[in-house]
Amino acid sequence: MGEHAAPLLRPPRHRVDPRARSWWRAQALLAVSGPLVLTAVALGALSALFFPGALPWLGPLLLVVLVLPAVGYLLVMPRMRYAVHAWELGEKAVYAAGGWCWQQRRIAPLSRVQTVDTVRGPVQRRFGLATVTVTTASTAGDIKIAGLSEADAEELSRRIGEATQDVPGDAT
Amino acid sequence: MSATPTAPATPVTAPAPEWRRLSPRTLLVHCGWLVAPLGSLLLTALATGGRITTGAWFTLGGIGAAFALATLAGLVRWARTEFRVTGENLEVRSGLLTRRLRSVPLRRVRTVDLTASPVHRLLGVTVLRAGTAGSGLRAGELSLEALPVAEAERLRAELLARADLGAATEDPVLARISWRWLRYAPLTFWVVGGVFAAGGSAYRALHEMGIEPWKLGFVRRAFAEFGNGMLWLTVPAALLAVIALGSVGAVVLYVENWWGYRLEWSDAATLRVRRGLLTTRSVTIERARLRGVVLREPLLLRAGGGATVRAVAGGLGNKEENRKRSGLLPPAPRREAVRVAAGTLRAPFPDPGSELTERQDGVRLTAHPRAALRRRRVRGLLYGVLPGTALAAGLGAAFTPVLLHVAWGYAVVAAPVALWLARDAYRSLGHGIAGEHLVLRSGTFSRDTVALRRDAVAAWTFRTSPFTRRAGLVTLTAAVAAGEEAYRVRDLGAGAAPGFAAAATPGILDEFLVRPERGGDPASVT
Repeated sequence: MGEHAAPLLRPPRHRVDPRARSWWRAQALLAVSGPLVLTAVALGALSALFFPGALPWLGPLLLVVLVLPAVGYLLVMPRMRYAVHAWELGEKAVYAAGGWCWQQRRIAPLSRVQTVDTVRGPVQRRFGLATVTVTTASTAGDIKIAGLSEADAEELSRRIGEATQDVPGDAT
Repeated sequence: MSATPTAPATPVTAPAPEWRRLSPRTLLVHCGWLVAPLGSLLLTALATGGRITTGAWFTLGGIGAAFALATLAGLVRWARTEFRVTGENLEVRSGLLTRRLRSVPLRRVRTVDLTASPVHRLLGVTVLRAGTAGSGLRAGELSLEALPVAEAERLRAELLARADLGAATEDPVLARISWRWLRYAPLTFWVVGGVFAAGGSAYRALHEMGIEPWKLGFVRRAFAEFGNGMLWLTVPAALLAVIALGSVGAVVLYVENWWGYRLEWSDAATLRVRRGLLTTRSVTIERARLRGVVLREPLLLRAGGGATVRAVAGGLGNKEENRKRSGLLPPAPRREAVRVAAGTLRAPFPDPGSELTERQDGVRLTAHPRAALRRRRVRGLLYGVLPGTALAAGLGAAFTPVLLHVAWGYAVVAAPVALWLARDAYRSLGHGIAGEHLVLRSGTFSRDTVALRRDAVAAWTFRTSPFTRRAGLVTLTAAVAAGEEAYRVRDLGAGAAPGFAAAATPGILDEFLVRPERGGDPASVT
């Protein structure tokens, strides 16, 4: 609308660790795909044992409603997440992108950073990964960077700590 | 009771002042818990003519025991709670077995509220709450229950003493209640909903006491007559009765909530709201924690030319408490609301105007792309029209053709309504920058115009879904450590969003922006 071409937000510079894909895959398997497939198998087995007549229509139904979504989720989600998730520590702000279908990019000025938490979940630890959460005074302003390698996470939280020292801020 | 007769404002390193107790009258307030079981016993006795069943005795005994325990806990708490104000801190000591000392630095105290329930007022005491920095879940809050009113006022002054008592504005009082505003009280959907809610809770209360309303003679007779009468007459009559009853209820609530309402700058740095008939409330908001205001225009109120005002302020407690305590103005004429909002901001309220008032010094908001209108239309039809129509049609196909007619009838009536609401929602959408403030407007059921201090934004979030990405839209969220925490600009043009955020808060986004060369391919910029 204006005379100038409107500026666009570029994605953050650094991708998360490639191992994050395996981590997301494991998560998908444990939390969504695994249970769905197990449910389908259990229902199929029960039907085969007790109501063999129902198999011709129940089988395809289970396949379409439970198995295909489970497999699709397992294949698509980690890949899309890896394409989206990224982070960057700028001079004045932290910037992170996340999500897969519903995506978000969040930017918080360093002057508003209150705490930096590094969390390693049990599954994450197997892959040598960590999640860094940068909190601000607003509960709607927390930045979460998931799937960093442990070394990167430590480095990032140290650098944010240093950067916040340099930037004068009220942190309220 | 503090012994500093001279030298009022000099921080002397004097010996720490003595611990003070809460008012002993608080004990009577705690005994007030016993009123409920005794009252219900009395009511039951009245309703059943003195014959109380064993079941009722058991229930009442249980309730009585619970309330007795609450009273006892209150006694213990009173006996073990002490407080004092040292040079820098408000300290509260409490706890029976685990002694706990909470110490709040005075300069962290952001709001001090005095609240008194009817029982408190009867006894001349009030509850003092001191809110500290941080908001929402991170807020710390100290409450002293309860203090004599005079002492509470003094303590409040003491706690807020470090606020600079500079020159107050010309007229510190921003607004007082005007009973002509009562005409706005019934303009809420709760007029109908409230009647049913009240009826439901009355029924449950009677049921708990062992009285079945359905078995009462006059209730049965009324229903029988209702069924036998001409439905085309009795149904609208009943509806009218419900609306009339609801309106009366709304007016009563309005009076209870806003009796003696007064909004003022009690000094240059503190805004104070006082209101309430039976329960008096007094909310103090420190100016430094005031991040903006919201002008709310719920659908019915907007149709009547009214609006309410809320503060966007930190330190008012969690979300629910914030909703209760942030009200600055009851439903009132829109012009009055805009004036109060401006007085609260101490800057002209960037009013984008409405259909009902002529645009004066209003700002022009940037409208959102047409794709946002399409989205609203689709959503209205999808969630508002389709489910009802499909349900009626499905049932109609299975059981009775009458429902098929209901289905198309519903679709014919609901579709224009949904489309009208969608258009209204789209026309509400807008965003802009006015001086020190961001202006965001959205909503149809409640059109909210938010004026937010630009320097209050703690983070920006750009959110997209597969649908908005295809439509070239993005939802921008400003995170603020106050009020609702997240303030959204929904369905902004994807190309305009970064520019808007960057212009609103200079310096934060700049290093992450790229400027596509004119006519060039944006992807070529690295």
